[in-house]
Amino acid sequence: MSVLLEVQSLSKKFGGLTALSDVSFQVPAGAIVGVMGANGAGKTTLFSLIAGNARPSSGDIRFEGRSIVGLSADRVCRLGVARTFQIVKPFPAMTVRENLRTAAMFGHAQQRSREAADAATQSVLHEVGLAADAERPASALTLSGQKRLEIARAVATGGRLLMLDEVMAGLTPTEVAQMLDTVRQLHAKRGLTLLVIEHVMRALMELCERIVVLHHGQLIAEGTPAEIGAHAQVHAVYFGGPA
Amino acid sequence: MARPGALWVGLALAGVAAVALLPLLGNEYLVGTGLTVLMWLALTPSWCVLSRLTGYVSLGHVVFYGLGAYLVVTTWQQWPLWLAIPAAGLLAAAFAGLVGGPALRVRGPYFVILTFGLAELVKFSIMAAESAMGMAARILFGAPDLLAVYWMMAALALASLLLLAWVSGSRFGHGLRSLRENEEAAETLGVPVTRYKLIAFVLSAAIPGMVGAVMALRSTYFVVGQVFDPMVSVTVIAMALLGGGDGVRGPILGVLFLALLSELLWAQAPLLYMILLGAILVVFVLLLPDGLIGLLQRWRRKGTAS
Repeated sequence: MSVLLEVQSLSKKFGGLTALSDVSFQVPAGAIVGVMGANGAGKTTLFSLIAGNARPSSGDIRFEGRSIVGLSADRVCRLGVARTFQIVKPFPAMTVRENLRTAAMFGHAQQRSREAADAATQSVLHEVGLAADAERPASALTLSGQKRLEIARAVATGGRLLMLDEVMAGLTPTEVAQMLDTVRQLHAKRGLTLLVIEHVMRALMELCERIVVLHHGQLIAEGTPAEIGAHAQVHAVYFGGPA
Repeated sequence: MARPGALWVGLALAGVAAVALLPLLGNEYLVGTGLTVLMWLALTPSWCVLSRLTGYVSLGHVVFYGLGAYLVVTTWQQWPLWLAIPAAGLLAAAFAGLVGGPALRVRGPYFVILTFGLAELVKFSIMAAESAMGMAARILFGAPDLLAVYWMMAALALASLLLLAWVSGSRFGHGLRSLRENEEAAETLGVPVTRYKLIAFVLSAAIPGMVGAVMALRSTYFVVGQVFDPMVSVTVIAMALLGGGDGVRGPILGVLFLALLSELLWAQAPLLYMILLGAILVVFVLLLPDGLIGLLQRWRRKGTAS
């Protein structure tokens, strides 16, 4: 499998605080890769650097073989990288459909007309389970609905790489199961490559082919879910056992 | 936005007819009043292109007006008007392009204060320059008559309304509304927010530059403090606020409402006008944040519901 995303020696310092330190890993095209780690491990920072919301202090990020470090977030999105936000950022006064319209018009898909954009996003609404809410303002959605809107908008950009930041956090067990289903179907049907941050460990273990584990900004383990489950340092970090 | 209904098309035609036929009455007072209304109709939609659609509320719209007026006054009898008026628009747009980069990095109340400060800064700089040149005021001899000014302003009002209508309904306008809702989300979804904000700022500046140029012909004298009067910026905001909505109907309603109110009350009871204006603004901000357009939509929904 070809490599879609490659992160090389990525570091990010906020003043004296090192949020990410020398992190390297690869995401093969079509894979689902999980990012695990406690609060403050640097997971969201990693997403922000890849998506262009923040600039790395050093290191390189290559998407489809080309360096995307230093590009603004909108250019990174147009190249085909889409992300969701852990703290949801809907366009509250717009309807769900209008929220998706922005993504289809301005993201990688670059739909020029409103009609073309709406036609393109109609199937996304169905796949993400928001079809019934299409004409409601985004502010009227439940938290679960707003998390789905985050995913729907990211998918509607038409990007190849979809980065999901804790889309299951705060959901009930039933909603988590539904969300897992949705994510799997999007992956299968649209041939997307997924990079997934998740606190719900079991969800991550079920979903991902590979997992990278961050701890205090450093990559401490990488492997299949089984390997990660058996990794001594991961155990030490998560369960306080001997390292 | 819904497609304009037959009623709106009819009203628009009636409006155009009124503007075209008013001078035929031969009443100078009426033409002067019409000119004032047209001036606000040119200024308010141009303000909306930036401030309504992006949420970057500018309290310095008058700076473009003043710059345009200043250009016409300083080039008077050296440049022909067909050159000076478009140049006034270009000057205002260029100024917006110059200051927009840094200014649009701050949001919310900071942007409001910044634009106000910027307008005052330009006002006092020009004031200082004029007094250094020994110019207390300038007088324009041989300016075009009221009717010519009226037609020029009618063209600018039309241009301003068309600009807002086009931007509001375009892909560009959807990008602006998205960044108004959440700038970081919009950027992450591919909207080139920095460029779009700057383009909106430049577009919103050109027309007031030309309006200032034309109004200088009307008053035929130039006093810096009057031309850069912050009340112009405030009135534009009040009109846009009273009108509401992202399209052209709101600004039109807001302009007509406030212009009529001021025409009825200003001459007879200026104090009462200011008190009433304050009260109306408070009522709208608290009870009708969507303006007259929001009120009309609410009535229509009630009408279809029952």
